[in-house]
Amino acid sequence: MIYHNDAVTITVAGVVIAAVIMVAIVATLWWMLHPPASFVQKLAREAETELERMVGSVVVVFSQEIESNHMMALAAKLASGEKSELLAIYVIEVPYTLPPDAAMPVEERAALDALGAAETIATNTDVSVRTDIIKARSTKQAVLDLAKREKANLIVLGSFREGKYSGAPLGRTIEEIAADAKCDVLIGVEGKHGTLLYEEPGSPASP
Amino acid sequence: MSKTSQPELRRSVTPWGSFSWGYSDVGADIFVGLGLVLGAAAGASNVAFLFAGIVYVCIGLAYTELAATYPVAGGGQYFVLRGLGDIFGFIAGWAVLLDFTIDIALFAWSCVDYLSELLPVLNNAPHPWAHFIVVLGLMIGLCTLNFIGVRESTAFNGFVSGLDIISETAILTLGFLFAFSPHLLVHTMQTSWPTPFEFMKGISLAIVSFVGLESISQAAEETQRPASIIPRTSTALILTILIFALSYANLALGMHTWHPIPLDAHGHPQMLWQWLGNTDNNGKAVALIAKQVPYWGAIAAFYVPVLGAILLLISSNSGVFGSSRIAYAMSKGGLLPSIFERVHPRFRTPTVSLLVFTSVSILELIFAALPSLDPNMAALYARLFNGESGIDFLGDLYAFGAATSYSFVFIALIALRLTDPLSPRKFKIPLNIPVNFRGERAEFPVIAVLGFIGIVAILVFTMITHPIGRIAGPSWIVLGLILYFIYRKRKGLPLLHSHKRDWRNEQLEILRRAGELELMDEYAANLKASDERRAKAAV
Repeated sequence: MIYHNDAVTITVAGVVIAAVIMVAIVATLWWMLHPPASFVQKLAREAETELERMVGSVVVVFSQEIESNHMMALAAKLASGEKSELLAIYVIEVPYTLPPDAAMPVEERAALDALGAAETIATNTDVSVRTDIIKARSTKQAVLDLAKREKANLIVLGSFREGKYSGAPLGRTIEEIAADAKCDVLIGVEGKHGTLLYEEPGSPASP
Repeated sequence: MSKTSQPELRRSVTPWGSFSWGYSDVGADIFVGLGLVLGAAAGASNVAFLFAGIVYVCIGLAYTELAATYPVAGGGQYFVLRGLGDIFGFIAGWAVLLDFTIDIALFAWSCVDYLSELLPVLNNAPHPWAHFIVVLGLMIGLCTLNFIGVRESTAFNGFVSGLDIISETAILTLGFLFAFSPHLLVHTMQTSWPTPFEFMKGISLAIVSFVGLESISQAAEETQRPASIIPRTSTALILTILIFALSYANLALGMHTWHPIPLDAHGHPQMLWQWLGNTDNNGKAVALIAKQVPYWGAIAAFYVPVLGAILLLISSNSGVFGSSRIAYAMSKGGLLPSIFERVHPRFRTPTVSLLVFTSVSILELIFAALPSLDPNMAALYARLFNGESGIDFLGDLYAFGAATSYSFVFIALIALRLTDPLSPRKFKIPLNIPVNFRGERAEFPVIAVLGFIGIVAILVFTMITHPIGRIAGPSWIVLGLILYFIYRKRKGLPLLHSHKRDWRNEQLEILRRAGELELMDEYAANLKASDERRAKAAV
């Protein structure tokens, strides 16, 4: 007996049993809630870890050739889930006939529109985004240099703009970036007739 | 045009969901069982719980192995059907059905007992009609909710289960910490040891505190990775319930009460276990013991009756849902007439099963409540049934149904170990003897034999000590068998034999549906190797 009065009785046996009950219940439930992962779960976990690594720092590329608004929305959603850094750039290709810092008001206006839309998408998704307009002789080289400088984990590219088809199915610039990039590249090509889940009325695939 | 496949049960039940599914059923049992066992086994209540607890561990291990090997909705009835054939599958399912119908009445009854702690007008002794009408109302209400397809959600089950585990752990921990005396425990055991008859009765009622593990098996088809998760959730459930039951029993026998215990009906002082086990209090023993915990009791007095009532109501609801579901499954398996398969066109619920088995439970309630409603009936019951009625009668039948179905589950486990050694068993009961059976290497489960002996002993104790149980229980089985034979004869199905099933392909399909793809590959490889061995032996 440790202590006794009219209200309470504290004994060594009582204290030990109380501790055993508490520990046994907590340990049992903890063990139950932590089962070993199955093969399929391990695969899923590896993919999730890879995704976390992949979207550590994301660069979304826009240019005269590359339309990336829909991919910006996807990148913003990825970034909001994974808390990654997001950088949206618009590359203006300056022809060799002009000096490297030549004024190109039409292209610069288009860049402001594209990056403004990118910022709006980011705000709506509740993520922060840095934006930049880069003038370069080659879009590919500008993107690869920037990715290296920013230690990007992922470059996100949309599809080539209509009327700019240049012999490569995805657009030459997109294919070159994908081929030479040292990090992962995510390319999103919009379907001509809606998505796989929804077909626009009147499209050849719709009933 | 591609053909869409049949919708399957979604594997959405998580480990906690699976555990709470079982806990909301078994966890409520101690709220009913504690008072009944204290009333019968007196100073040996802790030993009675220990005996029943050991048998329960064996039952739990058997269910765990079977549910992990055959993760289908159906539970014990399916295991027996698969291991022993149609007629035994029917008897096991019919006994489980008895348990489910009793479950509805017993837990609704006890739910009102717990509520009466806060609303004295519901107390059965002074107000039997009010008690009866509220119990009946709850049962009809639950049937109606199930009829229109409303069920408590898994999330709600999980929340109530979590709250109850915290609450019971607090009651027991603080009770042992501030009010337990080992000397008083030994003294009570020495001075209040029951007669052998009372002890046997106590053991047969103690099994009531461990009934409902079936629910985890019933939900196996909806559980994520059932072969891996179910062994864990079942083991955790077995341990949790065992710890609670043994702790409550020892605390009730060795507790210094915080408030004085009222005098008994004859004006004599009584001990805590006597007060908890008398007919006025045995339906709400956990609430009363919680009240006696120093300091915590002041809070527990308000919330434990409510928490207990909610848990008991969920358990009663699982009886309504479970009985209709198992009758539906038995009907689909050709064991019951197809009328039990009938689904309401609008609500998509098995309405005939629901109405029939809720009606059976209402009849059981009326039979249990008659002596308290009519003094003439009380005299008749005293003459015919040793004065047993009410919650004792329901407890008797509950123990009978559980012991019967569990007995068959043990035999089914042994049979399946021998006849189906190729099915991969991710969890296997320990202590096995390797044997060769029909050219295959199998393992004979020693613990299943011990468990079978234990549960048969409890079944015998039930038959010896419960006058109503020994008449009503076997009568239920005989009635079921008559219905079974009439139905099978009409349908032209074999009476004593089983109709043929392709268990191999069914097992592959079960594992595929459960998402246990590695086990499915292992089973397919086992089948191939076995076929090759047999072909070689034939040459």
